[in-house]
Amino acid sequence: MSGEPILLTDRPPSAKALLLNGIFAENPVFRLALSLCPAVAVTTTVANGIMLGVAVLFVQVASSVTVALTRQWIHPRVRIPIYTIIIAVWVSTIDMVLAGFYPALYAQVGLYVKLIVAFAIIISRLEVFASRMPLIPTFWDGLGMGLGFLFALVVIGAFRELLGSGAILGHAITAEKPLLFFALPAGGFFSIALLMAFFNFVEARMLKARAAAGRPGAPAAQAASGGAHG
Amino acid sequence: MSGTHAGHGGAGAARPPRPPVSAGEVLRIATSMVVTCALAAAVLGAVYVATERYAEQERVRGERSAIAEMLGLDSTATVLEVRQYLVRDRGEVVYRTAPADGSRGTELGFTLSGRLTERSTVSADADPGKGWVPLGRLFVATRRDAPAGFVIEGETQGYKNRIRFFVALDDSFRIAGVRVVEHEEDPGLGAEVATPWFQGQFVGRSASDLPALDVTRDPMPEDWRAALRERDRTDPGTWRAHYAALLAREGKRPVYAVTGATISSRALTSGVRAAVNHFRRRWALLSPFLGGPA
Repeated sequence: MSGEPILLTDRPPSAKALLLNGIFAENPVFRLALSLCPAVAVTTTVANGIMLGVAVLFVQVASSVTVALTRQWIHPRVRIPIYTIIIAVWVSTIDMVLAGFYPALYAQVGLYVKLIVAFAIIISRLEVFASRMPLIPTFWDGLGMGLGFLFALVVIGAFRELLGSGAILGHAITAEKPLLFFALPAGGFFSIALLMAFFNFVEARMLKARAAAGRPGAPAAQAASGGAHG
Repeated sequence: MSGTHAGHGGAGAARPPRPPVSAGEVLRIATSMVVTCALAAAVLGAVYVATERYAEQERVRGERSAIAEMLGLDSTATVLEVRQYLVRDRGEVVYRTAPADGSRGTELGFTLSGRLTERSTVSADADPGKGWVPLGRLFVATRRDAPAGFVIEGETQGYKNRIRFFVALDDSFRIAGVRVVEHEEDPGLGAEVATPWFQGQFVGRSASDLPALDVTRDPMPEDWRAALRERDRTDPGTWRAHYAALLAREGKRPVYAVTGATISSRALTSGVRAAVNHFRRRWALLSPFLGGPA
C-alpha cells in the first residue's frame, strides 16, 4: 500500500481516546453528519433509536474488525465494493441468525437490521480507519463510532418523542402531544440541526475555557489524534 | 503521460497520476472480486442452511398462534390451510387443502367464471404445478364440523414494500382481527399500521360493509383512541364486549389514518377490503366442498 497518505498519526491512539472520539469529537451524526437519513427516519421514539443504534454498533464493530484482519488481501482498487460486500454479509448473517434463533427479538429489530447495509458511517470508518490501522485500535474505533451513533439516536429520539408525542420510552409525560411537528420527518431534520447547534455551542464554550486556561484545544477535525474532550 | 488536466493549486498533496492498469493487474482485480464474492456467498449459504429450518419453524408456529389468537380458538378447533393458485394457461383457479395432520388434501379447480372442472385428492406437501401463480392462502377453522372462522392471507403495496397481513373473519363474516405479519414501513410512521391500536379499527366490521370502507385524515376521537390503546392489554373477546357501544359507533365511520402515514394506512385498508371481497367470492365456490354455509 505505497503512496497512500496516512490520515491519522502513525501511533494508534488509545482505546479511551478512540471511544470518546466516536461519541463526541467525531460523533457520526452530530459531527460527521453521516447516516442522517436513517437517523431522521427512525428517531421518532427513544426505543426505535436504541434498537437501530445497537444494530449499527454490532455491524460497525464486526465489519471494522473483518476489514482490519483481511486488508492485506483486499485489492486497493476494488476496496469499496469489497467493503460493501463485507457489510452486507454481516447484516445478512445477523438478520438470519436473529430470525432463526431469537424470533421475539427479531420481530422488534428485524426492520432496522436490514436498513444498515446502506449506512455511510460504517463504510466511511472502514475506509478511514479500519483499512489503515491495526486490529485493536480498529475494534475500539468501531465500538466508539457505534456508541456515538447509538448516543446520537437516543438523544434525538428523546428530543423528538418528548416534544412530538409528550412521552419518553412510551411513558406519557404530558397529557397531549405538545408539538407533533417534531415526530414528522421534517421535524427530524430540525431536531438534528438544533441538537447539532447545541453540541457546537458546548464545544465552543469548552474550547474558549481551555484557551483561557492557556492550553489551546485542537479543532474538532483533528481531534482523532487524541484531543477528545468530553 | 495522461496528465493533461492541470492538477496544481489543489490544497492537498498532489498525488502522482496512477499508471495505466496492466493486463495482469486487471486479472488480479477480477480475481480479488471473484474470490470475495465466492467467500461471501459461501458464508451466507452456510448461515442460511444453519438457520433456515428454525426460521421456517418459527414462521409456521407464529402463523398458527396468530390464527388461533385472532379467532379465539381453543384446542378443540382444527385449522385447514387452503392454498390458491392461478393457472394462467388453463384459465383456471386451483385450490388445494393441506391438512395439518399430513393426510391427503383435496384439490379443486374452477374456471374463472366459477364452474367446477376438477376434483381430486393430492398429498399435503405436493409442489404446485409449473407456472402456477400463488394467490395467497386461506385458513378455515372448524369446531365440531362447523366453521368457526376464517383467516385470509393478503398482500398490499405499502409505502416502501409489500405489506403481508392476515384478516380474521368470525363465523358470521365479521372481522375478528387484522394482523400485519410482514412489512417494511418506516418505524414510527407507516409501521404504526402494524400495531394493535391501528388494526383494532377494523374489528367488528361486517364483510358486506367493507366495499364502502374508506380512510380519513380527520383526527381520531379521543375516546376511540383510548379504547384502541387498551387493545393489546386485554383479551380480544373482553375488549369487544367492553367497547361494544364505541365499536358500533365507529363501525359506521371510516378508518382514521396514522398521522404522517396516510399512504400506509390507505394501503392496509384497501388490502383488507380486497382480501375480504375476494374471500366472499371464493368461499361461495368452496363452501359446498369444505363444509359450511355459503
